[in-house]
Amino acid sequence: MTMTRRAALMAALAGSLMIGAPAGAQDGPLKIGAVNPYSGPFAQYGDETTRGYELAAKQVNAQGGVLGRQVEIVRGSATTAQEGLSVVEQLVGRDKVDALIGTYISSISNSASETALNYGKLYWETNALAMSLTERALPNYARSGPSAVTFAERSVQGVTELLSKVVGKAPGEMKVWLEHEDSAYGTSIAEAQKELLEEAGVSVQIGAHSFKAIDLTDSILRAKADAPDVWINTGYVIDTNLLLRTAQEQGFTPPVMMTVGTGDTSETLEALGQDYLEGVLVVSYPRADISETYGPGSDAFLDLYRSEYNRDPIAPQGMNAYFGAMLLFEAIEAAGSTEFEAVMTAAKAIDRPEGSSLTGYGVMFDDTMQNVRALPVIAQWQGGQMKAVFPTSAVADGVALVNLPRQ
Amino acid sequence: MLDVLNILTVGVLLGGIYAIVAVGLNLIFGVIRVVNFAQGEFVTFGLYGAYAAQIATGMDPYLAPLIVVPVLFVLGAVIYIVILRPLQNDPMMQVFATFGILMVSQNAILALTGGVAYSVQSAFIGMSVSLGPIQIGLSRVIVLAVATLVTAAVALYLRHTRNGKAIRAVAQDRTAARLMGIRVETVYTLTFGIGAALAGLAGCLLSPLYTMTPQIGMNFILPAFAVVVLGGLGSVLGAFVGGFVVGLTEALAGFYLDPALKHAVIFIVFIAVLVVRPSGLFGVAGAEEVGLRDQN
Repeated sequence: MTMTRRAALMAALAGSLMIGAPAGAQDGPLKIGAVNPYSGPFAQYGDETTRGYELAAKQVNAQGGVLGRQVEIVRGSATTAQEGLSVVEQLVGRDKVDALIGTYISSISNSASETALNYGKLYWETNALAMSLTERALPNYARSGPSAVTFAERSVQGVTELLSKVVGKAPGEMKVWLEHEDSAYGTSIAEAQKELLEEAGVSVQIGAHSFKAIDLTDSILRAKADAPDVWINTGYVIDTNLLLRTAQEQGFTPPVMMTVGTGDTSETLEALGQDYLEGVLVVSYPRADISETYGPGSDAFLDLYRSEYNRDPIAPQGMNAYFGAMLLFEAIEAAGSTEFEAVMTAAKAIDRPEGSSLTGYGVMFDDTMQNVRALPVIAQWQGGQMKAVFPTSAVADGVALVNLPRQ
Repeated sequence: MLDVLNILTVGVLLGGIYAIVAVGLNLIFGVIRVVNFAQGEFVTFGLYGAYAAQIATGMDPYLAPLIVVPVLFVLGAVIYIVILRPLQNDPMMQVFATFGILMVSQNAILALTGGVAYSVQSAFIGMSVSLGPIQIGLSRVIVLAVATLVTAAVALYLRHTRNGKAIRAVAQDRTAARLMGIRVETVYTLTFGIGAALAGLAGCLLSPLYTMTPQIGMNFILPAFAVVVLGGLGSVLGAFVGGFVVGLTEALAGFYLDPALKHAVIFIVFIAVLVVRPSGLFGVAGAEEVGLRDQN
C-alpha cells in the first residue's frame, strides 16, 4: 500500500489536532520513544535492542546532544501488533516523544509505524527484517538496518563463494536444503534464498515447520533423505535448538549447517553444547568481534557496552540498533528538526560506502527508505564463541574456518 | 521400507510424549469434569522444576521427579482447594479459572526469567541407540518407557486401591458416591493433585528434549486435548492409546505430506473421530455429556 503525500499530511494534521500542540517541548530533552517487547518471550532481545539506543543516546549526549538538546530514550513495551498500536498512542500522547525508534518484531513495527503516521511522527526502524515494512512506502518510515532479503542474499553469497570451496563442488553441482519456520519471517527469507540459489544453478529443496511444533524429526528425516551439501535453517531459538538436537540424535551430519537470524546466542550454546556447535555457521547482524577494518568503531562499541553493563553483549542486535540510532541522530541534526519529511530528506542525502561504520554498513537509502548498504555477516561457532568468517573483509586477524566439512 | 519403519518409530516415540502429557489431563477431566487449561502449565512447572533442581544441586533432570512430583502434587491440591473448589457448582467458571491460572503462571515465569530460554544438561542428551539402520534418541525412549509404566501404574491404582476405587466411583456418579460415604471433595483434591504430579513428571522427563520458554506448555496442551478426545474422555488407557494415534498421525503426515500441515491432519482425524465415535476410542458413551450435566 502506498500512501500519497497529501494523505500523509492529512493524517499528520489529524494527529496533531488529536494530541494538541506539544507546548514547550522544544525546551526539554529530545524524546525518542523506543518500541520493543520488554516482557514476553522476546523481552531479552527487545531489551538488548534498546540498550543499543540508550548507549547511542549516552554517546551523543556526551557530545552536546542533538539540536542542542539532550536525547532521552523513553521505553514503550509492545509484545504484539495490537500493543504496538497502543504503545505509540501512549508514547506520543502521554510521554510527548518527538520521534519513534524500534523494533525487534516486524509485526509490531508494522502497526506501531502506521499509528505513528497517524500522529505525524517519524518511525525509524533499525532491526525489524520483513521486506513488506519498507515496501509499504510509508512516508514516516525508514530502515537503517538489513532486511530479510539481505539476510537471504548474504547466506546465498556464503554458499556460492565460501561453501562451494569447502565442499569442493561448483555451485551448479551443490545441493542445499532450505528449512524454515512457516510464518512470514521464515518464509520470506527462504523464498528469497531459493530464488537466488536457483539463479546460481544450485539444486534446492525446501521444508517448512511450525516453530511451536514439539517434534521436528520429520523435518530432519526429510532433509536427511535428500543428503544436501548445505543445510540452512531460518527460525526462532526454540525450533532451531530442537532441529539441531534432533539432527544430532538422528545422525544427520551434512557437510555444512547454517542457521539464519538465530542460533548465535548462549541459549543455543547451552542447549547444544560447544562440541556439537563447533563449525555451525550463523547469518546474523555484525557482531563486535568483526575486524576493525571492516567495522571501524566496533572495538570501541564493545568497550562502551562492557563499561556500561559489565558484560559482553548478549546478542548482536544491540550494535545494529546503536548504529541505527546514531544515524537517526545525525539525520535529525542535519534536518534541523524531527519532522519526518525533513529527516527523510536529510537521510537520503547521506552517501557512505560499505565498511564505513562500526557494523560495516554503508549508508544509501533507496526510494522506499531502505538502507541498501546494510548487510549481515556470516559468523561461525568456534570454541563456544561466535567469530565472523564472511565476507572475508570482516574476518578478524587469526580467525579461520573450523570443522568444515563438519565431522 | 526403511523410511516407513523409521517414521513409524518416530511416531511411536512421539506418542509416548503425548501420552505422558495427556494421562493426567484425562484423569482430571474424567473425574472432576474440568477442562483444565492449566495442565500445560503444570508440565512447564515440571520443566522449570528440573532446571531449578539442576541449578541448585547439580541434579540430573531424570532424578528431578523425586523433588518435583511431590511439589506438584501439593501445588495441584492447593490450587484445587483454593481456586476450583469454591467454583464447583459452576463448571464454566472452573474452566475460565484454569485459563486464569495459565495466564498467571506464564507471566510469573516471564517475570522471573526475563524471557531467557533455558536448557538442562544431562548425560543422555544427544545419545541415541541404533536398531539396525534406525536411530532412536535415548531421551525419547526413556519418555516412552516411563509413559507406559505410569499408565499401567495409574490404571492399577484406580482398579485395585481403595482410593482408586473411590476415584472411579466419583467419576461414575458423584451423588451416588457421596451417598455411599465417599468424601467427594477429598477425592477431587487427590485427583487434581495426581493430575498435576503426572504433568510435573512429564515436564521433568521432557526437559532434556526442549529449550524452555514460558509459553512451552501451550505447545503441548493443544495436541493433548486432541489425544484426550480421541482416546476417550476419562479413560487412562484411552489417553495412552490416543497418544500413539496422534503421534503416528503427526509423524506420517509430517514426513509424507508436509511438516507444516501435520497439525491440520491431526485435527482432521480428531474431527472425524468425534463425528463417528463421539465418546472416543475407549470412552464410555455419554461421558462427554456427563461432563456438562449438573451432578448435584
